[in-house]
Parts: sequence; structure tokens; C-alpha cells
Amino acid sequence: MDMVFSHSDDVVSREIDGALIIVPLTAGVGDMEDDLFSMNETGTEIWNLLDGKKTIREIVDALAGQYRADAGEIEADVSGIVKELLKRRMIVEATAA
Amino acid sequence: MSKRPPPEHPHPALQKSGILLSGKALIGLMRAVHARGLPFRFTAGGHSMAPFIRDGDVVSVSPLASGDPALGDVAAFVHPETTFLCLHRVLSVNGNRFLIQGDSIPDRPDGMIPREAIIGRVTRVERAGRNVRLGLGPERLLIALLSRCGMLTRIRRYAGPLTACFSRRHASCETR
Repeated sequence: MDMVFSHSDDVVSREIDGALIIVPLTAGVGDMEDDLFSMNETGTEIWNLLDGKKTIREIVDALAGQYRADAGEIEADVSGIVKELLKRRMIVEATAA
Repeated sequence: MSKRPPPEHPHPALQKSGILLSGKALIGLMRAVHARGLPFRFTAGGHSMAPFIRDGDVVSVSPLASGDPALGDVAAFVHPETTFLCLHRVLSVNGNRFLIQGDSIPDRPDGMIPREAIIGRVTRVERAGRNVRLGLGPERLLIALLSRCGMLTRIRRYAGPLTACFSRRHASCETR
């Protein structure tokens, strides 16, 4: 929960028509053919908060405050997405500022 | 960076994108990838560059880090009138302006395109999993000159079967 993550240098992301598109830079190429990902609204919000400064705890608190939702539920959401992004090397662990 | 991500189904918040990107979105992503100094690979549509680039070919567009596009290069540019992304050949260079035209549409030149509208150059074409080299090598100079004097389409008309055969012979067996 005290870990800090930032976007990996191996991806490029852009918000297009309200959807976040992530292009992994596989083998030195930005590849639209196989590896294009899109994030839903929740995922996009979490992605934007993974800025290399905020801890996971701070992200959960920010979202819980914003949505007045159960912190446990939000924590599960954030953890799940962070785990997925880590597995796909879209984010990397950063040192807290 | 060289290893592909795991193949399992992603988290519901993160989906393999099946959306069709508009020209503007494609340009935005291409610019973002180029900002990292890397080529951008995607499926090209249309017939204006046949037979060298065909509808459905997968092309890689590299950033212009090594200098301006040269005669014969296939440039990726934002068409000043339509704002669409185009992949057409450079037929002549006049300072910071480039005469550009599709290989198979001699009657519809794109005109003099300013340098700032050019995003990159096509450095690779793949067709059915094979690299297609014809059109991007040294012969691109000849293609540009023939295209400029209106000879390319005439040659294609009379030597179509020969061109197809030549294209096949120049396709390498390299697969993705």
C-alpha cells in the first residue's frame, strides 16, 4: 500500500475520444497490430493517478473520497488493476517523492 | 521491451482494444510513439500506392530523425486539405516543400506539402506476414521519376503481370 508506481517507458498512452489507449512499445516498435489496449473509465482514473508520486494508499483514499465508496472495494479495484499493469510491464515501481 | 506481454485475458478495466481509430487518433498515437524515436506499425488502407503498398498491408512508419524525406521516399503526412493521414511518394523536393503523389493516382497529386505536415517515412511493408521490399529500396528513385512524368501507371498497365511476379520475387521469407 505504500508502494509508488509510474508509467513504464515501454508504453505510450493517449486519451482518444474519452478512452485511454495504451500502446506497448514491443521490440522497439509502437505496434497497433497486436498490442493495443484500451482502459475503461475506472482504469483511466487509476492510470492517471499512477504518477510516480502517490502511494497506492493515497490513490485509494483519493478515489474513496471522490466517490464516497467503500475503501475496501476501491482498494481491491486498484490492486487488481495495478497487478495487471505490472504483469504487462505497463507500470514500474518508483521511489516516492 | 523485447518480450511480449502474457497472453491471458486482461483485467476487465484493461481490454485489448478492438476499436477502429480515426485518422486523427492514429496521427496522435504515431506522433507519441515517434517522440520516443521508435517506428509505428499499423495496417494501411486504400489503393493509392498500389502495387507497392496494398490495401491491408502492415506498414511501419519511422520518425524523421535522420533528416528530411528524400526523393522516392514514401512519406506519412497529414494532408493539408483533408487532414487525413496519407502515405504517398515524394516526387521532388523544393527546400522545405515536397511534391507528393500516390503511385497509382497520377491524376490526383497531393501538391506541395510543407515539411511540418510530414510525420515520418515508411520503412517497412508487410504483406501476408512477409516483408515487401520493392518500392522502398534504391528503385524508389526510379519509381519517383517515372511517376513524375506519368509513366508509372502506363508501365503498370502493360507490365502488370511482370510487376506482380517481380513483387513476389522481392518478398522475403521473413515472417513476423
